[in-house]
Amino acid sequence: MLTAAETEKNGKKMITESLSEYSLDANTLPEGFRLPPPEDEEAEEFFVNIGPQHPSTHGVLRVVVRLNGETVVEVVPHLGYIHRSIEKMAENQTYVQNIHLSDRLDYLSAFSNNLCLCMAVEQALDIGVPERGEYIRLIICELQRLQSHLLWWGVLGMDMGAFTTFFYGFRERELINDLFEELCGARLTVNYFRPGGSSVDVPETFIPRVKHLLNIMPKVLDEYSNLLNKNIIFLERTKNIGILSPEKALSYGSTGAVLRGSGINYDVRKNDPYSIYDQFDFDVPLGSVGDSYDRCQVRMEEMAQSLRILEQAVARFPSGPHRSQPQQNYKLPKGSYYSQVETPRGLLGVYIVSDGGAKPYRLKYRSPNFSNLNVLNELAAGHKVADLITIMSTLDLVIPDIDR
Amino acid sequence: MGISSSGASVLVRQAGELIEQAPGGIKLVDAVELVVAWGRANSVWPLVYATSCCAIEMMSTIAAKHDLARFGYEVMRASVRQADMIILAGTINEKMAKNLVTLYEQMPAPKYIIAMGSCAISGGPFYYDSYYVIKGGDRLVPVDVYIPGCPPRPEALIQGILQLQEKIKKEGRRNPWKVRETLQVPFEDIFSKAQAEWASREKQRDEESREAREQFKRENAASPASKPVRVKKEEFPVVPSRKPAAQGISNWTLLQMLQEKFPAIEVYSHPGITPKQVAELGPDYILDLVVPSEQYRNFAEYVRNEQSLGLDMLIQLTCVDWKDSFDIVVQMLSCRDGHKLFFRSRAEKDPATGDAEIATISDLYLGAEWHEREVYDFFGVRFRNNADLRRIFLENDFPGYPLRKDYDDPTRVVKRPY
Repeated sequence: MLTAAETEKNGKKMITESLSEYSLDANTLPEGFRLPPPEDEEAEEFFVNIGPQHPSTHGVLRVVVRLNGETVVEVVPHLGYIHRSIEKMAENQTYVQNIHLSDRLDYLSAFSNNLCLCMAVEQALDIGVPERGEYIRLIICELQRLQSHLLWWGVLGMDMGAFTTFFYGFRERELINDLFEELCGARLTVNYFRPGGSSVDVPETFIPRVKHLLNIMPKVLDEYSNLLNKNIIFLERTKNIGILSPEKALSYGSTGAVLRGSGINYDVRKNDPYSIYDQFDFDVPLGSVGDSYDRCQVRMEEMAQSLRILEQAVARFPSGPHRSQPQQNYKLPKGSYYSQVETPRGLLGVYIVSDGGAKPYRLKYRSPNFSNLNVLNELAAGHKVADLITIMSTLDLVIPDIDR
Repeated sequence: MGISSSGASVLVRQAGELIEQAPGGIKLVDAVELVVAWGRANSVWPLVYATSCCAIEMMSTIAAKHDLARFGYEVMRASVRQADMIILAGTINEKMAKNLVTLYEQMPAPKYIIAMGSCAISGGPFYYDSYYVIKGGDRLVPVDVYIPGCPPRPEALIQGILQLQEKIKKEGRRNPWKVRETLQVPFEDIFSKAQAEWASREKQRDEESREAREQFKRENAASPASKPVRVKKEEFPVVPSRKPAAQGISNWTLLQMLQEKFPAIEVYSHPGITPKQVAELGPDYILDLVVPSEQYRNFAEYVRNEQSLGLDMLIQLTCVDWKDSFDIVVQMLSCRDGHKLFFRSRAEKDPATGDAEIATISDLYLGAEWHEREVYDFFGVRFRNNADLRRIFLENDFPGYPLRKDYDDPTRVVKRPY
């Protein structure tokens, strides 16, 4: 491969390597496509490449779409454009060093990722968390869910051509980011939780600021509903588009709002409660049809439910120590450990295989986005190519989490 | 300015040269150039190009609070042919590298690159041990401004953009924009080098302070030496862990039900254990079964079809490399009841190549296909009858299987020295 400077210097023409890659003869399909060539003589099938550098793919997802006119016949996602070998690196670092890498998987749910890894270590070593530590975890994870859904909502509007939602969504998201920044000095890649609690205690101003946020948010959610979710264009482009049946959702292993949008009641917080979620009163919103609209409504309702949890948590936020006694080295006994949490995007699992040392023998992240993206072909086939973008947006994908 | 060879700009340049020769013309051309530079610096159009975490901070910068539009940078273009600048927001890996170079070549000159965040500067957190991350964007394309941070704050990005503006304003006919070289340095273990340097500096400092102390003692022999004060270590309590309540079907019932059908299965790392002893392992123990590899597919099929087990969702399928063999681990979950079941099967390694083979379950669980492709990609385990067994993340010509324990590629990996 020549670098840019070399090609310019040698006066060579621009190399478009993809050209030879995609010059296909009439009989072969690009890799990954399965449906046979159309029998109908009049079908005008062609292939369109979207990504990896494309604004609507939320990062570096690349999908190759097989179109008949404007109708999607088949979609093949190509992954790996942001594969960073986090699982290999994990084998060479201690568990505490690994926490900072888990931030970078799904950066919109960094706290949940931290939590999941810490929970696996706690489970292996039988470490408990003080009550205040648990409350801090819960409050922060719910704030994280809010800010992640706010970003999703903003970008959803943008994918449908409305730029306004982006600014509205980010307006409130900045408030939550400021909270995180005061808490641990970082807005995104936080590296905050530790086995047995969190690295530092929350500042005194934390609870008042959360209360302030709780005053603002309900009004804001109403505003959002009026702005986008009752908009006729939004309804037309989401209702009955991209329907996922419950059986397919389970078979693909999709989780989070994608699964609940299809009407299956599974939320790790409710069905397999971790931390102290079993002490809180909240509902799990469910969809009935499984279309794009249901997935959106589930997320909107989840924000309201997060506010409910936050209100309860803030009202009985206890004092005391924020973490249990830290250890010099977390050496996990030989064996395998698994923990799972509900991130804003679904079920994140951490599977640790330990050989008794201070570093994991194998560390596998079960990424929610990986399974959620897998359903894309099912959802998009038969719809227009513009709907493909909306469908991808309602899946709420974060690509580095898929590629790891 | 002035590097494009299109007809219009040749005309402009010739006109400029003519005016320059006139008395006082240089001042006029200088003044025009200032105005042009000011205009160019304040209307740079970036490409929408973002790969990972930094992208979110870039979005924050564009959004209302930080408002990048104040600097004329808000016109994000989706096509590189309309853009003047790329903000490398995020990690660049090998698969993306080809793309980035193509994008850079497609961009009309003069063109600028901002490396945002430590990944784009040097690989950042992924410098050591990573086999796929390019160790710095400047190895591919010439970078103009580097913004440190992981990710940098929006203010830092704004600062970087102001730096680029300064740079553009200095450009003119005396200092034209030109293509610069990319970085051609082999990557190495920087940490150990830096550590040696720090150690020598520290030694020197210790020496100096020891001398100073002794001199102080000599001069003030009467005063008593002060005692070193130690900071008190913060004490935290040791808290008992919360045991989760058991969900769904209990482990021993599951084991009983499955052993009836498949007598050969055993519990992983507890050979010969009875269902009663499994119950004593506690509610947070997840049943982990070893299935003989010839029964692996039948077992998976039974688990899927038997409604009374209630295991309706595949969490994941993964693999562990035990140096002499692979363990294929399948993790199942019951959405209905909440219990889990893990089972594993051994796939023997071919001693010569290290490859292995096992039956596929991708026709039973639609989601398993991608998981199997991932295992094939990272470990080289082939799944018999998987309809689409291609590499999923890495490129087809990537040498070796990186998650194997014996993988080593010095052309890609710098080993972590600490």
